[in-house]
Amino acid sequence: MSTSLTLAPGRHPDGTPQLTVSGEIDMSNAGSLAEALRAGSGPLVLDMTAVEYLDSAGLSVLFAHADRLRLVTTPLLEPVLTVSGLADLVTVEYPEPDHASGP
Amino acid sequence: MSCANEAGRGAPSASPGGLFTGDPEVGADLLAVDWPATPLGPPEGWPQSLHTAVSILLSSRFPMWMAWGEELTFFCNAAYRRDTLGRKYPWALGRPAREVWSEIWDDIGPRIRTVLSTGRATWDEGLLLFLERSGYTEETYHTFSYSPLRDDAGDIVGMLCVVSEETERVIGERRMATLRDLGSDPSVIRTEQEVLAFADRQLDRNRKDLPFTLTYLFDGRTARLTGATGIEPGHRAAPAVLSADDPGALWPAAVPAGGEAVVVPLDGADFAGLPCGDWSEPPVRALVVPLLQQGSVPYGFLVAALNRYRLLDDGYRGFVELTAGHIASGIGSARSYEAQQRRAEELAELDRAKTAFFSNISHEFRTPLTLITGPLEELRNRFADPDDEVRQQLDVIHRNGLRLGKLVNTLLDFSRIEAGRMQARYEPVDLAAVTAELASVFRSAVEKAGLVFDVDCPPLAEPVYIDRGMWEKSVLNLLSNALKFTFDGSIRVSVGAADGHAVVCVADTGTGVPEAEVPRLFERFHRIENARSRSNEGSGIGLALVQELVGLHGGSITAESSEGVGTAFTIRLPFGSAHLPAESVVTEAGSTAASVTADPYVVEAMRWLPGDGGPGDAVVRAETEVTARGASDARARVLVADDNADMREYLTRILAGAGYEVTAVTDGAEALRAVRREAPDLVVSDVMMPRLNGLELVSRLRGDRRTASVPVLLLSARAGQEASIEGLEAGADDYLVKPFAAAEFLARVRANVELARLRTHHARWRSALIDSLQEAFFVCDESGAVVEINTAFADILGYGPEGLPYRPTHPWWPDAATDLEAHRQVSDAFTGFLGSAHGSYTVPVTHRDGHRVWITATFNKARDPDTGREVTVGTFRDVTAEHYAIQRESALAALSTSLSRATSLPEALSGALGRLKGLWRARSVVAAVFGRGEVPAVTATEADLRWEELPAERRETLAALRHKVPLTPVAHRSGAGVLLEHPEGPLALWIDLGENRPFTSEDQLLLSLLAGHLAQGLVRAHQIDQQRETAIALQRAILGPDRLPEGFAVRYEPATPPLEVGGDWYDTVALPDGRIGIVVGDCVGRGLEAASVMGQLRSACRALLLQEPGPAQTLMALDRFAAGVPGALCTTVFCAVLDPGTGRLTYASAGHPPGIVAQSDGTTRLLDQGRSLPLAVRPGRQRPEGRCTLPPRSTLLLYSDGLVERRRRPLTAGIDQAAEALQEGRGVPLDNLATQVMARLAPPEGYDDDVALLLYRHPAPLEVAFPAESSQLAPVRKALRDWLGQCALPPDALQNVLVAVGEACANAIEHGHRHAQGELVRLRAEALVDDLRLTVADSGRWKPPQPEPGAHRGRGVALMTALMEHVTINPGPGGTTVHMQMRIA
Repeated sequence: MSTSLTLAPGRHPDGTPQLTVSGEIDMSNAGSLAEALRAGSGPLVLDMTAVEYLDSAGLSVLFAHADRLRLVTTPLLEPVLTVSGLADLVTVEYPEPDHASGP
Repeated sequence: MSCANEAGRGAPSASPGGLFTGDPEVGADLLAVDWPATPLGPPEGWPQSLHTAVSILLSSRFPMWMAWGEELTFFCNAAYRRDTLGRKYPWALGRPAREVWSEIWDDIGPRIRTVLSTGRATWDEGLLLFLERSGYTEETYHTFSYSPLRDDAGDIVGMLCVVSEETERVIGERRMATLRDLGSDPSVIRTEQEVLAFADRQLDRNRKDLPFTLTYLFDGRTARLTGATGIEPGHRAAPAVLSADDPGALWPAAVPAGGEAVVVPLDGADFAGLPCGDWSEPPVRALVVPLLQQGSVPYGFLVAALNRYRLLDDGYRGFVELTAGHIASGIGSARSYEAQQRRAEELAELDRAKTAFFSNISHEFRTPLTLITGPLEELRNRFADPDDEVRQQLDVIHRNGLRLGKLVNTLLDFSRIEAGRMQARYEPVDLAAVTAELASVFRSAVEKAGLVFDVDCPPLAEPVYIDRGMWEKSVLNLLSNALKFTFDGSIRVSVGAADGHAVVCVADTGTGVPEAEVPRLFERFHRIENARSRSNEGSGIGLALVQELVGLHGGSITAESSEGVGTAFTIRLPFGSAHLPAESVVTEAGSTAASVTADPYVVEAMRWLPGDGGPGDAVVRAETEVTARGASDARARVLVADDNADMREYLTRILAGAGYEVTAVTDGAEALRAVRREAPDLVVSDVMMPRLNGLELVSRLRGDRRTASVPVLLLSARAGQEASIEGLEAGADDYLVKPFAAAEFLARVRANVELARLRTHHARWRSALIDSLQEAFFVCDESGAVVEINTAFADILGYGPEGLPYRPTHPWWPDAATDLEAHRQVSDAFTGFLGSAHGSYTVPVTHRDGHRVWITATFNKARDPDTGREVTVGTFRDVTAEHYAIQRESALAALSTSLSRATSLPEALSGALGRLKGLWRARSVVAAVFGRGEVPAVTATEADLRWEELPAERRETLAALRHKVPLTPVAHRSGAGVLLEHPEGPLALWIDLGENRPFTSEDQLLLSLLAGHLAQGLVRAHQIDQQRETAIALQRAILGPDRLPEGFAVRYEPATPPLEVGGDWYDTVALPDGRIGIVVGDCVGRGLEAASVMGQLRSACRALLLQEPGPAQTLMALDRFAAGVPGALCTTVFCAVLDPGTGRLTYASAGHPPGIVAQSDGTTRLLDQGRSLPLAVRPGRQRPEGRCTLPPRSTLLLYSDGLVERRRRPLTAGIDQAAEALQEGRGVPLDNLATQVMARLAPPEGYDDDVALLLYRHPAPLEVAFPAESSQLAPVRKALRDWLGQCALPPDALQNVLVAVGEACANAIEHGHRHAQGELVRLRAEALVDDLRLTVADSGRWKPPQPEPGAHRGRGVALMTALMEHVTINPGPGGTTVHMQMRIA
């Protein structure tokens, strides 16, 4: 059994392909995220506003695709992204708070 | 609360019916029951009410069973199965209750019927039930309540029973009561019989655990019955005598004799008809335990018949052994006390008898002896013809008088030596010449005996210092001894030098003594039996005296002897005088003292020789005439003073020839000294002499009232009237001018002597009377100067008549510099002495040789009839022995008081050392116990002294003491030591006097007594220590829950002293809905009654909390219960129910002090709502309830009033102090905080009431254990997220903790997976007031933190470190532990 994680492909208002992730990402399900990212190539908007937990296993997946990702997320994940250094490699956007889904 | 189970086990699949899911195990067994065969039918058809009842039952952790339907079909839960049902599980499930509990149906059936018919619940407290659950009939106690169960229609169709098993508590209390009673009176020492009778009375009160007992004591290998309970004397199973060597003995005495315990089955004819104790059936087994004795064979053994309804488990065995231990220590105590008492009495008696004997004998023998020998001399002169029959008989009396006198003098010498009053005068002599001269005295006797007398005394190179009198006695004794035992061969006397010593040897070829007797030769009053000798007479005291006398000279004497060959005595004396007391050494040889000593020895020896009917006095006298001493027949003594030796000899010769006893001196000064020592009948003095001439001598004699009446005849070469007038004016009685005719001289002498005799007749009687007084006598003039004394005075103080007058300050006054107190006592007494007409004082004085003497003096003022001046006449006696006896008594009393006040072994010892130090005004007292450790344990009057810090010399002294006989003091120059028994090993004790102070035999006796007393007291203190430990252990066993929920810490402290169980308690109860009931209560009073009330209330409160909806209702129900329990009135209780998830607390207080909450922001809150009266004061009255929510990271303190209540201080002050302590420790881990609060609030002398304390910190720490699988991460995260929510963390902090812990868990899973599959990972999270502590532990080994850059594991560690404030990763052989810490702002 793995932790609940949903992945919904879509398109960002600016036309870029987008993957919307919700739930918690840890070593039990980081593989599914990696699989979904490997499915495409080229720029991708990763909407993580509904992600409540992200650990180093998930970060490793994101690092592997750093050069093509744009992250949309909430302040909840900010410390992890900053500490790991990922925020230095990719663009991170924080939308208005009312879009954020709280725990 | 623990989440470990839920998280660890994983959710089991639900049962098909879903009905029995509350407990997987019991549920499975219920599922297996053939329900259609029961009146209830298949579970699918059960009513909803039964479903509900079963699920409540199964989900509860509290033991419960229920019965439902017409046959009362039985259900129970896992807790009930574990505690009560035992082997009947699972057979009992689904059966009729009547069948399940058939053995107790008579007890419980009526109760169940009452519940079913009335709908009212029942309540039973500590009911005794005999259960068959463990394969035997077992004595058990249960507290339980039956309440009705209703079906969907509301009709009563069954009952629910909530049970609390109290077997352990009830039996524990019962055993503790017996042990406490046994130890209830440790301070009173009893005889062995009393100890045993007392023990029997206590054992007899517990016939449940001890249906009957027998106490046997060993007498060698025989055991005698000395006590019994529960069994008639004369019963076949209680034989009066057993042998440990008899294999067929009824009780196997040989086993306990070897120190082992044994179980004896009670079957067979001898054990028929055994008494049953409190039960209806006789016991089937007995435990025989030894009554152990430290370091020796057991005193005896205890036969304890065993309760057949209980297993002989560790607790039961321990109880019987503790019981035996109590009896054994009682016996040990009584025996050692008796032995000690006997020894002390013997010692004191011996000492008294000895002192009395030696002091009495002197006066009692001497006075009559003097009155025999004096008249005898006169008679012998009257019958001068040696052939006269009367004369011969007189000679017999004379010789025996001499012998008796010699014996008395010898005894007196001993008495003086023992009392330290032997006055020696060591002068340098030519030892060879002196010894040869003494030997020559014996020559005729030896030769007459037909022996060769070989005297080999070449001169020595240097002089030897001896006291002539003592030396004469020594040599004469040895010679006399040699002659007595030698029949053939020779006696040899030799003098030589070796190793810096003069060596004098007296050897004979006599009978000798057996080798075994040689060491005893010098023993006092020891006579060699069956030895062939010339005489059977003898006291066996001569050689002992020789040894003492030689010892006084700093020398030694040894003996070699072989039977039939002979004996040789060798005396070694050091040269020089350094080894002798300086004040007794004179550098010049004194005037040759008259040797009166030899006479008795030789006279006695001559009598042993055969073939001599009339011993020739003439011969003897000729031999003994070693100085200018005439025939001793003359009554009058004349002192001749002349500086011309020829003249001196001439005068001596003619006077001696006329029968006078003559002493000759060389000048006036010596004459004066001689007269003062002993006044002669007449002084004949030359006028012209050096130093002091005759005229001056006369005036000095006349000027002193003691010598004023001594007649003086002056001789002068100066002729002429004026010279004569000058002499007579000076006070001379007569005057003779040289040359003079011998006849005229003798006529003048005779006339003067007779005149003086008439004149002094009265005075002589007076002084004879005074000298015969046993008490010291003295006369003082107006200034306080002592002008006249008697012999006893000189004996007691060492100051003789030669030093008169003694002017104040008298020389015997204690030295003000070294003993101011004693000096002041004497000085005060002296002032009183001068100022009063009469009086009496007891004062310390100092003997001439320095030792302390206590005297009681009585005096009266009188008028001297001659001079008309006022004088003071007094007497005193030596009360030293009495003084020390009183001192001993008070020292013993003081030590006893100190020991009886001590509440522990170390306190007893250090208190006693302090007493000893004070008693001897010692510099320090140190005790070393040579126990099991390598280094002896040291206690000293200086605090914290350790063995290593002692001087090496002191360590050696103490170690050497170990090998001495216990209770026998050893005295050195600077102190004294003694060995005694300490419960942990031999104890060597040393008293450091710090200076050269005599440690007298009185002191040694006292030390011996005190040491015995101390050993006794230490054993007693040790027993108290043991009892204290037992009491606490037992109290803790009956108090409080077995397992505390997470987040709680508790303490219980009994009151000190007297250490007693009390009525305070704390309790936590896990309620079925996950909440926790919390109780702290305080029953009135202390002791066993209070403890028993406490036990009942505690059980009742537990059960009620499970039944009632809240604390107020619980307390109201408890009110009703308490009203029926004697002693429960006014118990105070704080009862609360906590929801550990939310921190919500509802509480009610029955007169109990308020709970205290220390909040994380530093404020304090009192739980002072919900207050009402103590228990049972107004049963039925509504009780209010208080509510509060414990904020995150706050700490709750509940306590009994012993913690805060102090005399003369308002309770609120104590509560404030407790709140302060709690607040200060709000950041300390909980268990440490409990210790800290107890210590902070403890009064200096310890709690005087018992204290129960309970702490809870919200939220309770989180503990999760989960398998090392990645699927576990999400549920663990959820549990942690919930818990962190309770801690009220800011959201971002919460996320940081989640990630950091998540990384640590992920690492643990990876490595756990790799190294040891299936191992658990453990997470613990604890919130302190301002920080979080998190621990993740696994059983694997981690990689180094940064193995390959970019790999996500290394990133994980980096994340942890970045997100938390403090991270440590400890890899160990058993796994890796990560500690993380984060401050909460």
